[in-house]
Amino acid sequence: MITAHALTKRYGSKVAVDAVDFTVEPGRVTGFLGPNGAGKSTTMRMMVGLDRPTSGTVKVNGRRYQEHRAPIREVGVLLDAKAAHRGRTAYKHLLSIAATHHIGSGRVREVLDLVGLDSVAGQRVGGFSLGMGQRLGIAAALLGDPATIILDEPVNGLDPEGVRWVRTLMRGLAAEGRTVLLSSHLMSEMALTADHLIVIGRGRILADGPLDDVVAASTQTGSLEDAYLALTSGEVEYRSSSTTGTGAHR
Amino acid sequence: MTSTAENKRATFIPEPEGPDFGGIVRSEFIKLTSLRSSIGLLLSIVVFGLGVSAALALTMADAGLPAQPSVSFMLDQITLGTVLFGQLIAAVLGVLMITGEYASGTMQPTLIATPSRLPVLRAKAVVIFVATTASALVATFGSWAATYPLFAALDLEIGLAAPGVVLSLVGASVYVGLSAILGLGIGTLLRNVAASVATVISVMLLLPIVLSVLPASQTVRNIQLLSMSKAGDAMSNPPESQGVFVDLVNGYISSGAGWVIAVVWAVVFLVIGAFRLRRGDA
Repeated sequence: MITAHALTKRYGSKVAVDAVDFTVEPGRVTGFLGPNGAGKSTTMRMMVGLDRPTSGTVKVNGRRYQEHRAPIREVGVLLDAKAAHRGRTAYKHLLSIAATHHIGSGRVREVLDLVGLDSVAGQRVGGFSLGMGQRLGIAAALLGDPATIILDEPVNGLDPEGVRWVRTLMRGLAAEGRTVLLSSHLMSEMALTADHLIVIGRGRILADGPLDDVVAASTQTGSLEDAYLALTSGEVEYRSSSTTGTGAHR
Repeated sequence: MTSTAENKRATFIPEPEGPDFGGIVRSEFIKLTSLRSSIGLLLSIVVFGLGVSAALALTMADAGLPAQPSVSFMLDQITLGTVLFGQLIAAVLGVLMITGEYASGTMQPTLIATPSRLPVLRAKAVVIFVATTASALVATFGSWAATYPLFAALDLEIGLAAPGVVLSLVGASVYVGLSAILGLGIGTLLRNVAASVATVISVMLLLPIVLSVLPASQTVRNIQLLSMSKAGDAMSNPPESQGVFVDLVNGYISSGAGWVIAVVWAVVFLVIGAFRLRRGDA
């Protein structure tokens, strides 16, 4: 379970995250939606202690991330598929992370197998596609068999087989009782994966509820894309003129 | 989907261990040794150290020989390459040890695994110091062994048992390790490869040159003796018996003073870097 209380992040005079409160419950997939610059990534970075909140708190299972004794066994995180050194092999990249928590090479092999990278484990990451980078990032997130999983845009760059694989994996992890928080800009994919939605715009929560309720409250069409565009219509910082109202043809 | 009230784990891993210093050191060791570039740089400390001393020893007959075996003459020949090239290579390695993580994005998984942050820097300092010092020890003691027959042929050989020889070879090697820590500290502070390399070269090599040409008294110019690279020169020379620690008026720093000065430079920048790492956003 992830709980945010009055969570705020300011950069100078710009407010990236504005006193948000929310709870991400275990046992379901929670979709985290919002336009570029809405504060999604900043919020996720604060969940794992990479960015310090200006005020307020965000806790995982009742503790700030850095207060957990074995953080990667509590929380698995993928924030950036390219966060691995190009000159290092996939196996050594994971092994270096695992070593901190005394997780053995057996578990490293296991997660490489799980994400389908076992055949390229000895290859350097520089030669990986974006999709392979995502799989490596997911492998790193699963190393500690965590009860909470936070993934930022994990299907970006994946092929259709990979997209379905991530969906099945996330649903499976949630069904096991884990907390799963997932951000994506792909509304059709999100509609298939998430049980619950948190929509953020300009650092504020625009909607927080079960997927069906959020959609029903914002549009008559039953489309998540329409609901999302309606919710965020006033909150987007960069928009081309043709985007507004495109949802009507669906 | 129905939601359950508690978090369950599907699989079970015994001994839920967190990040301890041993694990973090092992992680940093894996990171250092799994990159060809860092292995190459460590090897080049040995290659330049051995290469320069071999070249100097092979040509020393033409360069003017002392009348009798001289500890300081021999040490100059066999530590020059390791100190001169080793300090730069080690400083760059130290810079890369952390700026490479920022450049590649690896800093993110690193700090996610160790959110308390400072143990990461301590582990990096231990690993890079040990690795560069060990390479430099191979270079200095290897140089002594490789050139011994050449000195012997001229009746100028000096054994390791001679006063000050081992301490000077160790001093030259530790100086190389401290240069790596200086680089690590500056890299942690600046987070950028190019800016950090430029800064570390300026601090180590250009600062003493600028100080030495100051239009002031000789004593002011002798402040350059407190610079990192002058400390390295002092560390690679035997401790002299006159008992003076530092004499800025006459321009002398002892071997012991060199150790102190180099440690201070390295630690000061590491501590400044630690403040930057600990405060604020990663």
